[in-house]
Amino acid sequence: MASTSSTKHLSFSQWFKTITFYELLVGMKATLSHLLNYRPITLQYPHEKRTLPDNYRGMLALLRYDDGTEKCVGCDLCEAACPSRVIRVVSAEVPGEPTKRYSKEYYMDMTRCLFCGMCVDACPVDALGMTREFEWAVFDKRQLHLNKQQLLAIGDRSFPIREKRLELQHPNVAFFNVAFKHVPPKPN
Amino acid sequence: MTELGLRLAISLTQIGAIMGIVIVTVLLLTLAERKVLGWMQDRMGPMEVGPYGILQPFADAIKLFFKEDIIPAGANKLLFTMAPIICLIPAFIGFAVIPWGPNWTFEIGGITVKPFVISDINIGILYILAFASLGAYGIIIGGWASNSKYSLLGGLRSAAQIISYELNVGLSIIGVVILAGSLSLVTITDAQQGWFWNWYLFAFPAPQIFAFGVYVISAVAETNRVPFDLPEAESELVAGFFTEYSGLRFAFFFLAEYANMVLVSCVAAALFLGGWNAPYPGTILELLGLPSLAWIENTMWFAVKTYSFLFLFFWLRATLPRLRYDQLMRFGWKVLLPIALANIVVTSIAVFVTQ
Repeated sequence: MASTSSTKHLSFSQWFKTITFYELLVGMKATLSHLLNYRPITLQYPHEKRTLPDNYRGMLALLRYDDGTEKCVGCDLCEAACPSRVIRVVSAEVPGEPTKRYSKEYYMDMTRCLFCGMCVDACPVDALGMTREFEWAVFDKRQLHLNKQQLLAIGDRSFPIREKRLELQHPNVAFFNVAFKHVPPKPN
Repeated sequence: MTELGLRLAISLTQIGAIMGIVIVTVLLLTLAERKVLGWMQDRMGPMEVGPYGILQPFADAIKLFFKEDIIPAGANKLLFTMAPIICLIPAFIGFAVIPWGPNWTFEIGGITVKPFVISDINIGILYILAFASLGAYGIIIGGWASNSKYSLLGGLRSAAQIISYELNVGLSIIGVVILAGSLSLVTITDAQQGWFWNWYLFAFPAPQIFAFGVYVISAVAETNRVPFDLPEAESELVAGFFTEYSGLRFAFFFLAEYANMVLVSCVAAALFLGGWNAPYPGTILELLGLPSLAWIENTMWFAVKTYSFLFLFFWLRATLPRLRYDQLMRFGWKVLLPIALANIVVTSIAVFVTQ
């Protein structure tokens, strides 16, 4: 190996660069220029936080309408859309209203979530939202197994401005899963 | 008896002062290294402990002091315990012959005292070289006694590296010794008085520029610093020879490494850059009519030279990747050794002709 390198022909400038450590000097010039033009790109994280992008996908949350009722209609589409099987929905009829369903239980195992946002896209009534929370380090993994109340609480603190109920937003459109109060119920 | 007691008291005072200065410098260096490395890499370095992280060395010291002291199951307990001490003592003992300031003497109770050097022995450089080689034993023994393959590999690399580069350090110094005609660091420094072209780096019959280059490169290798940090190569050997060390013993190795850096920088400043001499003859304070305070200026010049060397260590660390083992050996034996030998020949001829 040494013989091949010694037989290789070197031009004078190459040879001169080798004996004067030219490449090393170039590198040292680079580091020194960074020292002299000191512009740190670090953020002192707990003290200062970077601005999140507008489409930031953080912690998932369940949302409510402005009258405080839950948006979720228990359709299970989020469960079907989730690639990591984070979500588990137990759907049920609203007691006394046979046309209306809701999620009786709603669980999210956030240890598995990869924050792809597919559940949010899948939801037909926009009941799921992605907040801008990301500091969810916990001491016990089981604290990341969230139930419906916890998810609603996250939604409450992250989305203070709530939508009106859909039928009030669009009075002339018929909606699935909405009680038609102005239409008399069908006689059974 | 009283004379002996007085001598002892004076020596212990000097030793205490210099140990204090060295340890403070080491504390400063641990912070400075992380800060300088950070700044060179567009980071901030430690920022949490104290304003701008300036109390970080104390936090580190407290942490290391209270950490659990682990001795691995298969380790040789005696050698494992001794290795950090063997490493640390030679690193500190070398400072005994370094002249920090002008070669003044004053008398206390019939004893001649040199305030700026603990002991002006006439084989100063040999003494430093000898103890620097002993420090390698600490690394080798530590690597062997840990009963770990990574530590052993680190120790073996260190042995090979120090044998190769110790030689180059010794040979590069010989040029200076020929010019000065003495092995005493005090005499060598005194011989470089006057303008900065009297420094042995630029001195008349044979400028020691090449010897200086060889010395700097070999010194970096001898202190196991990047790019020659093969004994502790963290990407290959976990932490090399001190993989198994924790707590205070680890701190000893750490302290020894930094003390070695300071020692090597002091020797380079004293041998090649005129030691405590200013680049101009005399001192400004003397011209201002304060000859009794001239030592402050001289020690400051010594500090400036030493610290620029230490900065060079950091700078190299921020810039260069680690050499491969065979590259290290080839560079030491095929490049640096011939240069050092040629420098000795040229210097001898030049000195012989001009005398």
